[in-house]
Amino acid sequence: MATQRINTNSEIHPMENLLRMDRMPHIWCPTCGIGLAVTAFASALEKANIDPNNVSIVSGIGCTGRVAGYVKVDSFHTTHGRPIAFATGIKVASPKTKVVVFSGDGDLIAIGGNHFIHAARRNIDMLVVCVNNFIYAMTGGQVAPTTPLAAYATTSPYGCVEPPFNIPYLADSSGAVYVARYTALHIRRLTNALTEALNKKGFSVVEVISPCGMYYSRINRLGDGLEMMKFYHDNVEIRHGEDTKNLEIGFQTKIICGKFVDRERPSYMERYNQWLSEVRDSGKRPKGKKGA
Amino acid sequence: MKADPKSVLTGVYYIDGDVAAGYGALAAGCKFVAGYPITPSTEAFEAVCHRGPKVGTVFIQMEDELGSISAILGAAWSGAKTMTITSGPGYSLMQDAIGFGAMLETPFVLLNIQRGGPSTGVPTKTGQADMMQSRWGSHGDYEVIAIAPDSPQEMFDYTVKAFNLAEKYRCPVMIMSDECVGHMTEKVVIPEAEKIDVEPRRLFTGKAADYRPFSPGPDLVPKMAKAGEGLNLYITGVVHNENGHPVADEKYKSACIRRLVDKIRINKDKIIELKEEGIDGADVIVVSYGISSRVAVKGVEMARQKGIKVGTLRLVTVWPFPDDRINELAMKTKAFVVPEINYGQVVYDVARCAHGHASVVLVPHGGAGVHNPADVADAIEFAVNQEKPMEGVHEFKTRLEKSVFEGGFKLKE
Amino acid sequence: MNSIIEAINKGIEQSGLDRNKISIPSDIPFEPETVKSLGVDYFQVPRGRAIAFGSGLKLGNPELKIIPVVGDLMTLGGNHFVHGTRRNMELLVLCINSFVYHKVAGKSVPVVTEAFSPYSTFEEPFNFPHLGNSCGAVYTARWTALHTAELAKSIAEALHKRGMSMIEILAPGPSYYRYVTDLDSELLQFYFENSTVKNDEDPRNAAITADGKIIVGKFTDKERATFIDSYNIQHTKILGDAFTPHGSLPEKTGGGNG
Repeated sequence: MATQRINTNSEIHPMENLLRMDRMPHIWCPTCGIGLAVTAFASALEKANIDPNNVSIVSGIGCTGRVAGYVKVDSFHTTHGRPIAFATGIKVASPKTKVVVFSGDGDLIAIGGNHFIHAARRNIDMLVVCVNNFIYAMTGGQVAPTTPLAAYATTSPYGCVEPPFNIPYLADSSGAVYVARYTALHIRRLTNALTEALNKKGFSVVEVISPCGMYYSRINRLGDGLEMMKFYHDNVEIRHGEDTKNLEIGFQTKIICGKFVDRERPSYMERYNQWLSEVRDSGKRPKGKKGA
Repeated sequence: MKADPKSVLTGVYYIDGDVAAGYGALAAGCKFVAGYPITPSTEAFEAVCHRGPKVGTVFIQMEDELGSISAILGAAWSGAKTMTITSGPGYSLMQDAIGFGAMLETPFVLLNIQRGGPSTGVPTKTGQADMMQSRWGSHGDYEVIAIAPDSPQEMFDYTVKAFNLAEKYRCPVMIMSDECVGHMTEKVVIPEAEKIDVEPRRLFTGKAADYRPFSPGPDLVPKMAKAGEGLNLYITGVVHNENGHPVADEKYKSACIRRLVDKIRINKDKIIELKEEGIDGADVIVVSYGISSRVAVKGVEMARQKGIKVGTLRLVTVWPFPDDRINELAMKTKAFVVPEINYGQVVYDVARCAHGHASVVLVPHGGAGVHNPADVADAIEFAVNQEKPMEGVHEFKTRLEKSVFEGGFKLKE
Repeated sequence: MNSIIEAINKGIEQSGLDRNKISIPSDIPFEPETVKSLGVDYFQVPRGRAIAFGSGLKLGNPELKIIPVVGDLMTLGGNHFVHGTRRNMELLVLCINSFVYHKVAGKSVPVVTEAFSPYSTFEEPFNFPHLGNSCGAVYTARWTALHTAELAKSIAEALHKRGMSMIEILAPGPSYYRYVTDLDSELLQFYFENSTVKNDEDPRNAAITADGKIIVGKFTDKERATFIDSYNIQHTKILGDAFTPHGSLPEKTGGGNG
C-alpha cells in the first residue's frame, strides 16, 4: 500500500515528495507543456496507489528526455531512441517493477520507432508517455515524424514534405492494449488516463500534445503558450473509442482526444511464463510472478 | 573538371564552420544529403536543407542515423555524390554501414562535428575523442581518409576536397571537425566556380558485358557503375571476387580486403596533407590537428619567447597517418608535443613513428573545453629539458587536471 | 528456380517495365545466377537496411524502380519500414515472413527458423499488412510462396503504384543468412493449404493467429502523394522557379496527401 506522498502542508511544494526539488529550476522554457505532463503523471502515481519505490522511469534524449531527472523515483536518462529497449530490460529482469517510459515524439517515434512497434507487438507491460510537440526542440527546431505537412521547421525551411505519424494508429496496429491522447490543457482527463494506464497490464501509450513556444510556435508564428492553449481549447474534440485511423493531426487542424483503445492481450511475461512451463521440466519455476 | 556555377554560392560570408561545410558540399556537386538532427552538427544539415532545393540537391531527414547512412550509400550507387552529417552517438550508430560502404568501395563523405563523449557526453561542447573510432570504428580491415579542418574557411575548402578524394579513391572520407570549429563564426570566401576543381565519378564506360565491378585499375581503384544502366549489378557486403559475387575462400578474402587497404596505402603520399612551420632546426615539434592546432599557436609563441626553438606540424589529413614524415623528423628533433582533446589517441601513432628517437609528450584534455596555451608552452619547456628521449608516451599534467584532481578523483568544489 | 523468384520474374514480365531500371536491395542473399536470370541490379545490404538503402537509390535516381526484399521480420529494419511507408517512398517492399503457426503433434505452435529458437517461440508476429496500412502504404497484399500466379499479379500491379507498396510473402526458410531459394517444401504446402483468399479484407482482421486460417489476398489499393511528389509540390509552391523538380512530376499534380 502506497503512503500519502502529495504534501498538503502549504509551506512546502505539494509535490516535494514526488519531484527532485534539488534539481529545480527545471530546464523547460516558459509556456512549455512538458511540466504539465509531469504534474499529471505525479498526480496519477498518487491516484493509482502505486508505491513510488517500485517505479522506474526511463527517458531518452530531448526536452522530454529530461523528465526522468526531475521525478523522485528510480530514474534512467538513457541514449537517444533507446528508452523502450532499456525499459524492456528492466521489466523482463525484474517483472514486479512498474516501468514507465517518458519521452518525446522524436525520441520514441523517429529513432526509437522500431523499439516502439516491437514493444507493442510483444506487449511488454509498461506505460509509455509520449509528449508530442511536433518538433525536435532540444536541437533547435528540426522536422520530426510528427511535424504536420507543410509546417515549417529548420530542416524543412520550405514546409514539411512528409505526412506525420498518427501515433495512436501506429500503437494500435502494432498491438498496444491501451491508447489515449490528450493535450497539455486537459490536465484532469490526462491525469485520469495516466492513472488508468498505470494500472493496465500490457503496453499502454498515452500521447500528450504539448505546446512548444520556443520552436514550433515561433517558427510557424502560432503565438505564445497561452495562444496555443486557447487553440487546444477551441479545437480539441473528445471522442472516446474513435477508430484510431481517424486521428491524424494536420497543421492547425482539429485534434481528436480521448481514450481509443482499451483491450486485453496476454503480456510478454505471461506468454514467456507459459512457454517456459511447457518447454521446461514441470519441476522448474517460471521466471517472475505468474501473470505479472 | 570545374564546379557547376549553379551550386557554388560565390561570395564573402560571415558564417560558422557547419554552414561552411554545407556550402562546400553543394559546391563539390553533392546531389543528395541524408541527415538526422544532432548537436553540434545540425547547422550543417540545416544549411543544406535551406540552400539545397535551390541548387538541385535533394535532402531528406531520415528516421535515425542508421537510415541516413544507408540512404546515402544507396544514392551513391544510383549515381549521386552524397554526404551525411552527424556527431557523437550518431557517429557510433553509423559504424556498421561505414564498413559496408568501404567494402562496396562507395564514395561518400561523412561530416563528424566531434563533441564530448562517450554516450551523450557533453552535446554542446567540443571533443576530439573520435579520432581512433574514425580509423577503426567498423569491424574488419579497411582504410579511410580523415581530414581535420581548423577554421570555417577550411571547412568549406576541405569539404570540397573530401568529395574529390572520395571519388578518386572510392572510399569513405571523414571530415573530423569539432564543435569549436563547427560553431566558430569567421569570414569565409567562396570563390567562383571556375576556381573550384571537382573530381567526376570514375564511371565505367565500356560494353556492359565487359563490366566487372571490382576489377582494379592501375591505382587499385575500380571503375564505378550506377544502378539502372543495364549492367546487371551484383553488389554485396560479403567478401567478393571481381564480378562482385560472394566467395568465402581465404584467397579471395585476401585479394578483396588487401586492395581496400592498399589502395589508400600506396597512394598515401598523394593524399596526405601537412602544414609545417619552423620545422628546420626545431628542438621541439608540436603535432596537432583541428581546434587544438589553433590553440597550440599561442602556446608555441609563448615557448618561443622563452628562447625555445619550436616548430609546428599540423595534420590536415590525420588518416592515413604520415608515418614517414614523423619518423624522419624524430631523427632531427628532441621531442614531439601533442595537444589533443582526449586522453591519448593520435599521440600513440606519433610515438609509434618516433621509434624512441624523440620524446613524445601528450597534453591531454578531457573535453568540453580547449587547452590552456600555457599548458602547451609548459609541455614544450618540459620536453626540451629532457636529457635523453623518454620512453613511450609521457602524459603532461595540465593545470586543469592538477587543480581538479589533486588528491585523487574527488572533485574539489 | 523457386516459386518466389518465379513470381518476381513473372511479375516484372507482366508489368512490362524495363528490367534495366529495376534494382533489388535485399538483406537475403540471392545467388548470382538468380540475379542474372532476373536481369536486374542487385545489392545485398546489411540486415534490415534494404528499405533505407532503397530510399537512397530512389532519391538518387527517381527513374529507378526499387524492390527491397526484406527477410528479417522487420526486426532490425522495422523503423525504416514504418518511416518509409509514412513518407510514401516509392518502393515495392517484399516482406518474406517465415514466422507462421504450424500444427505440431496436434498443437498450434509458431514456427520460426529453427536455428533461432529450437523450442519454437512464444512471441507473436506482426500483422504486416495492418502495420503497413496504418502507416499509409498505398498497396498491401499477402500471399504464400505457392500462390505464384497471384503473387506475380500483385507484383505487376504494385510496380505500377506510385508510393509504398508492401507484399507479405509467407515462406518458411529464407532468412538473412540463407539463400532465397532455400525453402522447406513440406511447410510451404501446409501454408498453402491452410490459407484462404479474402481480397479487400480490412487488414486489421488479417492477423496470423495460432488458430484459424491464414488470410491472404490484396488488402489495400489507394492513392496518396509520394515523398518525391510532396517534395516537388511543396518546394515549387514556396520557391517557384528557383526550384527545379526532382524526377518526373505525377500526371495530375496538386493532389496533396490524401
